[in-house]
Amino acid sequence: MKKKVLAVLLGGCMVAGLLAGCGGGNNGGGSDSSADSSSDGASSGGGDYHFEVVVKSFQSTYWQAAIQGIDAAVEELGVTVNTTGPNAESDIADQVNMLNNAISQNPDGIALAANDQSAVLDSLQDALDAEIPVVCFDTGVPEAPEGSVIATIATDNESAGAVAAENMYEVIKDYIANATEPVRIGEVNQDATSANISGRGMGFINKMKELVEADGKTVAVIGNQYYVDQVENNGDEASADVIIEVAVPAQTTVELSATEASNIMNKEDTIAIFGSNQVTAEGVLTANQNLSVLAATPEEGIVGVGFDAGATLKAAVADGTLIGAVTQAPVDQGNLAIHALYDYCEGETVEDIATDSYWYDAENMEEADIAPNLYD
Amino acid sequence: MANKTASKTAGTNKSFIDRMGGQKFIVLIIVIAMFIFFSAMSPQFRKYTTVVSILDYSYYIALMAIGVTFPLLTAGVDLSIGTGLICYSLIGGYLIVHQGWPVAAGMLVTVLLGVAFGVINGCLVALMDLPAFLATLCTCMITRGFGAMVVGGYGIPWPTAAAPGGWFRSIFKIQIGGQNIPIGFLWIILLVIVMSFVLNHTKMGRYTRAIGSNKEATKLSGVNVKFYHVMAYVICGLFAGLAAIAYSAIFATVQPGSGAGFELDAIGGAIVGGTSMTGAVGSITGTLIGVFVICLLKTGLPFIGLTANWQQIITGFVLIAAVLFDILKRKREAGK
Repeated sequence: MKKKVLAVLLGGCMVAGLLAGCGGGNNGGGSDSSADSSSDGASSGGGDYHFEVVVKSFQSTYWQAAIQGIDAAVEELGVTVNTTGPNAESDIADQVNMLNNAISQNPDGIALAANDQSAVLDSLQDALDAEIPVVCFDTGVPEAPEGSVIATIATDNESAGAVAAENMYEVIKDYIANATEPVRIGEVNQDATSANISGRGMGFINKMKELVEADGKTVAVIGNQYYVDQVENNGDEASADVIIEVAVPAQTTVELSATEASNIMNKEDTIAIFGSNQVTAEGVLTANQNLSVLAATPEEGIVGVGFDAGATLKAAVADGTLIGAVTQAPVDQGNLAIHALYDYCEGETVEDIATDSYWYDAENMEEADIAPNLYD
Repeated sequence: MANKTASKTAGTNKSFIDRMGGQKFIVLIIVIAMFIFFSAMSPQFRKYTTVVSILDYSYYIALMAIGVTFPLLTAGVDLSIGTGLICYSLIGGYLIVHQGWPVAAGMLVTVLLGVAFGVINGCLVALMDLPAFLATLCTCMITRGFGAMVVGGYGIPWPTAAAPGGWFRSIFKIQIGGQNIPIGFLWIILLVIVMSFVLNHTKMGRYTRAIGSNKEATKLSGVNVKFYHVMAYVICGLFAGLAAIAYSAIFATVQPGSGAGFELDAIGGAIVGGTSMTGAVGSITGTLIGVFVICLLKTGLPFIGLTANWQQIITGFVLIAAVLFDILKRKREAGK
């Protein structure tokens, strides 16, 4: 008997474990960012709105920056906001639960950064039925039920990747023009599944290809099949002047990103490398700890470009290990999301907004429009 | 006391492989063969810097694996070491970076947290009789949430090598004449020797095996089973704490919410190295060799151009092969 009870218990726990992923222990710590700002009389119009915000995770400092923007909007508008989010961006089921909870609170609006674009569709229908307006920020939900999402505020990832390519090309173009042998440009992407990462990965590839070809050279894109398949008019590796090699690690750890990066950085013909988010950019830096090949120009070594921020990346850009990086505008996104909800509640029309991404390097890091988006 | 250990010493006409250490010996040959294979296939892999990188990324897995060998020998397991590692590293780093603690104090807290969670795991399993799988799955969740909560979701960048307090990074790697010397490997070897001694020549080690072989019989022979059973998890926790230091010293930023899956590399390494999931059989040297199989797969496969999905498939097959080998060996021994 005892054994049976144990067996049932164990079975139950295994199922629970499966559902939670090892330790999807939900709740990343709901941060009640409003608490006392509701009644400070700062509200100009109809006031007293309450919004629920569901972010992708509390894992990266990126989201902490977004929450800063949300807090600022709370101050400006005199609304109340409750922010929740799962532990990790891969905890999709947790996030859907949090979204459903948010809907059942019946707030005046919801701001959502969806981890999975299809998993939230049912919940968005529920929100529509309950007449709760939803603003998507950071990531859009293209297939959302008609009318449920009133506005999407997101980085244009294709153009963000292109910004990285343009700035990298500035530094390497003379070298490419004078090169007699083929040269290689690396790109490490965290995955081949999320719309953001693949958007900016392809944005970089397409822009680089366009720039190189405009200067009369040929390009071949090799490596991860998902990315290679999306390239139009791909050249032949054997005859190309410039090879763009795309790597994707088996798991999204710094270590495996570093392994992929060092594989590319070890090749004699590599002149530049791009890590397309915080984890992969740190992977490039970790690989460089042993290789010490990153440099300011292709003549001296490999030119490195990162994406997003964080203390490590900022330090590497400041000391010139990376020639620069692209940052998104998480502060703006959080702020604009709350503003959009507020405007909608006030009866104004709201529209989609594509927020800018900024190139930053050792020179402009401290400038007023850049610095707030460089979270630690 | 332990029939498994008895049968091991009883065989007089041992084969050459058995005399050389059995599975361990075969796995060592596999490690060497893999290294030669990857080196032949990829000129990039042959470089000294790649070897340093492989060692760099192996320290934390090796440390976790040495520790987890003890619960495995008691026929238990510890699933909390991966998320635990990140949790301890986050909290230690938080005290250093945000509270201004000296680096040494932060490191001490990191290790002590590992020991503390080892005690918790040990009590749950040995005193309260929870199945090890279950108890440590729960502490896996707890450590993951706890670490992220303490740091408020922020990633923690431990001081860089050049920054004040960055000295701890040179525990594992020093620079001589512009060349990186992976001295961390010496520490690992030293710890392997110490823990092999503990496992083979002290009461702690002998009773750990005895618990895994036959807990009831061990108890009846007057051994304080509960104490030694708890201690197996404490050792595991201690090494998870040390692994947290190794991880912080090698990688730039520790991200909350990560770490799940690290334990599988460590447990996989121990099993490939000849530790039996059913307890009692295994060795620390075997574990270390097994860890290098896992690490070489992780590093080598990308270098020969195999992409993410292939890496996972091949690692899976290697684990199946290792477990099958263990089962076949025991069947053969039982048939004797």
